[in-house]
Amino acid sequence: MRRLCALAVGAALAFALAAAPAGAQEGKKVFRIGWGQEPQTLNPFIDEDEEDFVVWSINWRLLADFSTKDLGPVPGIAQSWQVAPDKKTVTFKLFANQKWSDGQPITSADVKYSLETFAPNSLLFGSYVDAIASIDTPDPLTVVLHLKSPDARIVGGLFVYILPEHVWGKQSVKSLTGSYKPKMPLVGSGPYVVTQFQRGRIIRMERNPYYRGPKGRFDEVQLIKYGNADAVERALRLGEIDFDREVDPSAFARVGKQRNIKTIQAPSPSFTQLAFNLCNERNCPDAKFNPGVQDSVVRQAIAYAVDRNRINQIANRSTSFVGHGLLPQFYKSFYAKPADDYPYDVAKANQLLDAAGYARGGDGIRAKGDTKLSFDLAVRTESPFNIQAARLVAEMAKRIGVEFKVQIMSVDKLTEITTQKKRGKMAPDFDTFIWGWGGDPYDPSLLLNLLTTKAIGGSSDSFYSNPEYDRLYEEQASEFDPAKRKQLVSQMIAISQRDLPYLVLTVDPVLQAYRSDRLANVQRLCPAPNGDAICEQVTGAPFTTLSPPLAAAAAKDEGGGSPLVFVLIGIGVLIAAVLAFTLRRRRKSADEPVELEV
Amino acid sequence: MTDVALTAAAAEPHEGGVRELLRGKRAIFGLGVIGFFLFLAVFGSAIAPYDPRASSTAVLEPPSLSHPLGTTEAGADVLSQVLVGARVSIVVGFSAALISSVLGALIGLVGGYFGGWTDRGLDALENWFLVIPQIPLMIVLARLLSPSLFVLIMVIGFTSWAGTARVVRAQVLTLKERPFVERARSLGASDRYVLRVHVLPNTLPLIFANTVIIIAVAILAEAALAFLGLGDPNSISWGTMLENAFNAGAPSAGAWWYVIPPGLCITTLVLAIALVGFLFEEYVNPRLRER
Amino acid sequence: MTFRWLAGKLAAALLTLVFVLIFNFFLFRVMGDPTTQLARLPRAAPEEIASLRHSYGLDKPLLGQFADYMGDTVTLDLGISQRTREPVWNEIAHALPWTLLLVGIGTVLSVLIGAWLGVIAATRRGTRSDSGLLGFSLFTYAAPEYWLGILLILVFAVAIPILPAGQQVTPGKEFDSWLAHAADVAEHLILPVATVTLMLLGQFFLIMRSSMVDVLTEDFITVKRATGLPWERVVRRHAVPNALLPLVTISAIQLGAVVGGLITIETIFSWPGLGELTYTAINDKDFPMLEGTFLVYSVGVIAANVLADCLYFGLDPRVQTA
Repeated sequence: MRRLCALAVGAALAFALAAAPAGAQEGKKVFRIGWGQEPQTLNPFIDEDEEDFVVWSINWRLLADFSTKDLGPVPGIAQSWQVAPDKKTVTFKLFANQKWSDGQPITSADVKYSLETFAPNSLLFGSYVDAIASIDTPDPLTVVLHLKSPDARIVGGLFVYILPEHVWGKQSVKSLTGSYKPKMPLVGSGPYVVTQFQRGRIIRMERNPYYRGPKGRFDEVQLIKYGNADAVERALRLGEIDFDREVDPSAFARVGKQRNIKTIQAPSPSFTQLAFNLCNERNCPDAKFNPGVQDSVVRQAIAYAVDRNRINQIANRSTSFVGHGLLPQFYKSFYAKPADDYPYDVAKANQLLDAAGYARGGDGIRAKGDTKLSFDLAVRTESPFNIQAARLVAEMAKRIGVEFKVQIMSVDKLTEITTQKKRGKMAPDFDTFIWGWGGDPYDPSLLLNLLTTKAIGGSSDSFYSNPEYDRLYEEQASEFDPAKRKQLVSQMIAISQRDLPYLVLTVDPVLQAYRSDRLANVQRLCPAPNGDAICEQVTGAPFTTLSPPLAAAAAKDEGGGSPLVFVLIGIGVLIAAVLAFTLRRRRKSADEPVELEV
Repeated sequence: MTDVALTAAAAEPHEGGVRELLRGKRAIFGLGVIGFFLFLAVFGSAIAPYDPRASSTAVLEPPSLSHPLGTTEAGADVLSQVLVGARVSIVVGFSAALISSVLGALIGLVGGYFGGWTDRGLDALENWFLVIPQIPLMIVLARLLSPSLFVLIMVIGFTSWAGTARVVRAQVLTLKERPFVERARSLGASDRYVLRVHVLPNTLPLIFANTVIIIAVAILAEAALAFLGLGDPNSISWGTMLENAFNAGAPSAGAWWYVIPPGLCITTLVLAIALVGFLFEEYVNPRLRER
Repeated sequence: MTFRWLAGKLAAALLTLVFVLIFNFFLFRVMGDPTTQLARLPRAAPEEIASLRHSYGLDKPLLGQFADYMGDTVTLDLGISQRTREPVWNEIAHALPWTLLLVGIGTVLSVLIGAWLGVIAATRRGTRSDSGLLGFSLFTYAAPEYWLGILLILVFAVAIPILPAGQQVTPGKEFDSWLAHAADVAEHLILPVATVTLMLLGQFFLIMRSSMVDVLTEDFITVKRATGLPWERVVRRHAVPNALLPLVTISAIQLGAVVGGLITIETIFSWPGLGELTYTAINDKDFPMLEGTFLVYSVGVIAANVLADCLYFGLDPRVQTA
């Protein structure tokens, strides 16, 4: 029996020793990013999650990449481009001797495939190539795009990854849009390419030997999957990862206070808005809504009454940015603070409504004739922040005699009430709702398009229709000169701020955190000087400058290994003790005389 | 929760006055706790010091004088949420249990009394519902329909009737053979009369005892569904509090004040209900008392 | 009688299984039209929806669809996960071992510890330790298991950070040996298993205790005592084995309750088992996955019940001679 004790203790010790953490990989420099959600399949034909974009933007270049300084177009696959005087032909010249990560040359055939076959058949990239009528490839380094009409997005906004035709062209479009799973390694043109996608665990990206650009300092980039944002944060603290790409707003302030952890709060091209149902009789004869919502004075009063700062502070824990109109500040080249900005002014709001003849009723809610200012405010249950914003809006509107009845519903239901049709025409059934949009990194067209008449039936969910706005949209869409374009955009913003189909409440932030003792050369990019550290979803360029700490000292792993050794030894000793105890008692009773078993 | 295990807990061998006293004590504890939570369900929102939904910038703060149980990830007062949360848990628990009982009793009565193919069919249905894992079934149903309080009550009610049905059926089967029932029927009494006057009154105590247990099960079910994100997004319950706490990373933040109270309330209420339920069951089922 | 009885039980189980399939079919194919749920883009063109319907065979008559469904299920074609585009069965097959590991160890531990505590309580009936143990068991029994898990995380992973609070393995780590890998998994197993054990402990304790109390008051025990055997020996050699019988069978039957608990437990520990698959499926509204996991749970519980019947049959001498 004593042997058993010894065995137990011995086993426990052996176990404990074996459990001692394997020493850090000698020599290999790895950059570890942690996230709580992983991409679906990395197939750009069908995937739509932002995690996919994070990986794609590192793996593949665009024809013209986004500059890390101001997001404007810089050479990517293409070295240069020329817009013909009639603005309907754009010629791209590719770099000579460019190669894919598998050694094959990058040619105009790849560009043609991507723009002609990939983009139109994909879920998300179709709209960027709408204006292209035909594509010529006179030689392997030249691509000529013939446009149906001038489209400024072709330069700087052609957000279509250039895929290797010799890999993707081998599959039928049917299978690519079905259940096709990309083969590893994911042949690409970016600084790192995916070599392993272990679902639920890790995505490994290794240096692309043929990348045209400075060599990344890290040998490998790993994207490690954790159960949730909480676990990622803990991993960062423990040193299991170097970078957390999406810190939860509730945790942001706390995370920044930790030793050796720096946080980043950068603007993004996404915002959260309060939308109003502005569908007119012609476009939506069967729409259901409170007519009060279509009086612009009412909307302007609401805009004055809602303190967007407070929403940022409370609903978003001060991590987001106050919204100033349809185009977020992120769009450095085109953004200008609108003249009609609606600073928080309850008195003014009340004034406007009084002057317009909306008198308060017995219950404190204003009404004029049959129209009572009592609106439904739909918000999706998937976003606690949106829900809080909705409640704050309702709270603040009460002070000016406007009632918002917050209705929390699933995203499916919200989609339904904003897209339903009757008798072939749109028939949205809502007064107001809170939701969000995310734009492209450089080109403002995606966001501006939301308020055009032709977007009704497509992406317009405010159903705003203004011929002047539409005209300006077409003009800016075909204006290749950024300065002139900015002018046109400002005019559009002014109109949208006057009519307020959307009251943009806050601009979503990119919240990141990293270990300052494990990462060096961290710059705030995309756009500089206060963008994010990895230009996530935009470009893989930062991965060529981020580097391990300059000091040679390797970071020590905190926590994890050593306490466990003691725990296991402790358990082993405990087991041994219990065994010894019980066995000794057994031996004692065995010494007693044999009993007669009845 | 099995009847077997908890019956085992409540049943004590027939010895000594100490046990009688203890039983009284248990009853007082159980009823007292239930009464307390019922009071909260009704008056919770009135006595809550803050609006449970009022957010502020004081995020995840530990207990203080102004917030005795600290604040949530939205800066709301935890104590207020706990007080108000009682209502949903109790309403869902009681309503779902009511539906479940009525349904189960009806099915048990009809099957047990009429026998034959009706009984066989209902029995098969009963067995199926007993075998199918309850929580996954509730999850599937709740996900297919849009989560709301009504849906929750319906889903829980319609998936937990089998236990009651089984118990009622067994009781009805024994009653059927009793002399007074046979006599009534030989005298020409209709089935409905016999059911109403003879069978039902004798089964009611059993149904009631079973219902009480189902209330506890329903409360746990609501909390579990809410925790998984299938609760009513418009209401605050102990389950949604735990869901929000977990999603907001309260455990990692060490926010014990946010995590402990709702769970403790669920546990205490469930314990009290189960206690009272089994005391009642003991009373109703004399066989249990003899052990 | 013996084989007929067993065969009867198996037939009943099979019938239940068929009902599960019918129920599944009704719920997921009839009640919830897969195409509206599968078309992630709400503004899909009508032609696309029509072709989707055709590829899922939704334009066939109901009976035809059901026949397809049965055929598919038997060949383990449970559809494609909406999120990962992997076959549902593959995902389930990957996750199942992790769940079995967790539940298996947890159940065994809770039976052992619960029984051990139950014996102690029964032999000290009426004393403080009995009440204490009773109180403890009732508490863990009534408490929501995910709450217990969160409490464990608070104490052992946050306040005294000695244990990991999630996953089954330290992510991103390279393991030099199988043993190191196993040790890492073991480290990550501790808290989830502890939670499962606590969740199940209560009922095994209560059953064992009451069962022991019964046995201890039976005649043959009194006889044993009268012959002068030391009390401990009586307990260990005679009382315990007899009290164990209901415990064994109950543990198999309780699988239904365990299933509910493991979903929430795996969620809080990000344990990559069936429960976590279910949880992500709930959030993603991935109906093929929900359907698949539900089927697996049902089959598991039905199988466990059959197993319990066999065990009961094998262990209880009374049944055999009936």
